[in-house]
Amino acid sequence: MGSEMEPLLLAWSYFRRRKFQLCADLCTQMLEKSPYDQAAWILKARALTEMVYVDEIDIDQEGIAEMILDENAIAQVPRPGTSLKLPGTNQTGGPSPAVRPITQAGRPITGFLRPSTQSGRPGTMEQAIRTPRTAYTARPITSSSGRFVRLGTASMLTSPDGPFINLSRLNLTKYAQKPKLAKALFEYIFHHENDVKTALDLAALSTEHSQYKDWWWKVQIGKCYYRLGMYREAEKQFKSALKQQEMVDTFLYLAKVYISLDQPVTALNLFKQGLDKFPGEVALLCGIARIYEEMNNISSATEYYKEVLKQDNTHVEAIACIGSNHFYSDQPEVALRFYRRLLQMGVYNCQLFNNLGLCCFYAQQYDMTLTSFERALSLAENEEEVADVWYNLGHVAVGIGDTNLAHQCFRLALVNNNNHAEAYNNLAVLEMRKGHVEQARALLQTASSLAPHMYEPHFNFATVSDKMGDLQRSYIAAQKSEAAFPDHVDTQHLIKQLKQHFAML
Amino acid sequence: MPKAAGKRIRRTFRKKLSNNSDMAEMKSMFREVLPKQGQLSVEDITTMVLCKPKLLPLKSLTLEKLEKMQQAAQDTIRQQEMAEKEQPQISH
Repeated sequence: MGSEMEPLLLAWSYFRRRKFQLCADLCTQMLEKSPYDQAAWILKARALTEMVYVDEIDIDQEGIAEMILDENAIAQVPRPGTSLKLPGTNQTGGPSPAVRPITQAGRPITGFLRPSTQSGRPGTMEQAIRTPRTAYTARPITSSSGRFVRLGTASMLTSPDGPFINLSRLNLTKYAQKPKLAKALFEYIFHHENDVKTALDLAALSTEHSQYKDWWWKVQIGKCYYRLGMYREAEKQFKSALKQQEMVDTFLYLAKVYISLDQPVTALNLFKQGLDKFPGEVALLCGIARIYEEMNNISSATEYYKEVLKQDNTHVEAIACIGSNHFYSDQPEVALRFYRRLLQMGVYNCQLFNNLGLCCFYAQQYDMTLTSFERALSLAENEEEVADVWYNLGHVAVGIGDTNLAHQCFRLALVNNNNHAEAYNNLAVLEMRKGHVEQARALLQTASSLAPHMYEPHFNFATVSDKMGDLQRSYIAAQKSEAAFPDHVDTQHLIKQLKQHFAML
Repeated sequence: MPKAAGKRIRRTFRKKLSNNSDMAEMKSMFREVLPKQGQLSVEDITTMVLCKPKLLPLKSLTLEKLEKMQQAAQDTIRQQEMAEKEQPQISH
């Protein structure tokens, strides 16, 4: 049957059923027979684009160079509450690190992981080079050497006869005059080849050809400028596009520009303008919630996530964020309901079962706890995930008072991920209970060097050193702990005690 | 000197027990004892802190797709490298 079908129709059918590889192969065959078949050519370009297509709004991968040498932020010393760079400045509704763990960037951990949540802005070069634990690759040196370029080169490697379209030989002016062809070609160049400069050339020629009346091309030019790091130019293009035609996407892109310029308040205002035009739009509401979350204003973030759920009650990000917020504000049974809802919706992965297990344990539903963790372990895709599940199981073991099991769990976490700082710290606490002081000290030192942003290892090291009479080291560690968590009462107390000791000498 | 919550607080007080005739009365009616005199001593133990349990963040579809694509790309590169390595061995 299949062989009798008209090949172009069959290719179209493959494309609609999202069988892009088959579609591209068939188009290649057609192009071998008739190299000037525009329909086959455009279809192949679109199939290849779809294979690697990632929503541009979600993408945000900053390289080390961009972050450290960032000159785009308007105020280098911003006022509190107007910057994403100083997460600690806004303390309204932010959870304390004594309850909710924090990430390397000093933010409370979020309930949902997007490409941009991984970036965060580290303060020092040392922190920037350190591999973030949730992303499996190290941060690229610049964004132009990042994931997208690697993906682009990889897609070219797979085709043995070289790239499908030889970009350097394209006569862009000719294509710019055919708007329909140009749009598909632009997306191919932008997403598949990752050649932003050529894409920009094509877009510029096309928008000229359309006499600057097509908002779509303006948005594309803005996207190119954004990728090239020319934020002000991108802003102009997006604003001009918005004047012609108001689209949700354009609002989102423009907000992304403002976030890159470290102007969260402007981005918030923009989103609110967008909401006037598109009332109840989920993407805009979600954008607001994300900004509040990044500014450490968890209570406002939760309000907006709830607003999102009123419009779309299957929004995974909103459910996950509200759930984790409930868990860390001492309401595990409410969090359990949110995570159960996710399970009912068909989310089925290691992270969800791990969270369910933790919620069950802390909500005292012991029957489900271990089965959830077992399933989480069986669904884990890599060693980092396994390590995190074992780490949480260790907490369950500590909770039921089985220190041997806890010890084994934390050990297993370390076997799976040798850089699991939290596990080192907890293991040290257990060793200390057994009276193994030297081992505990060694473990704590490892933990504090792996994760200098956590206050626990510093504080514990200070306590242990204080007990052993090593007051100098204790004082140094206590100061580090205070830097990581200034409001920690026990640290302040310890420092005060040590100062008294030193004064007596 | 009273301290923050979470510390072990031990109250010691001295009060003379009443004699046997009062015992029957005490049994019938339990009265709370709030000592107004005596010593209050606080034993201050700094306990070590455990890191908190960690809810794992769910991944967005975009992130999953990116990771999948990257994995696939790395696999193909590895395969091609392996193929390149094998070829000269055959020619030897």
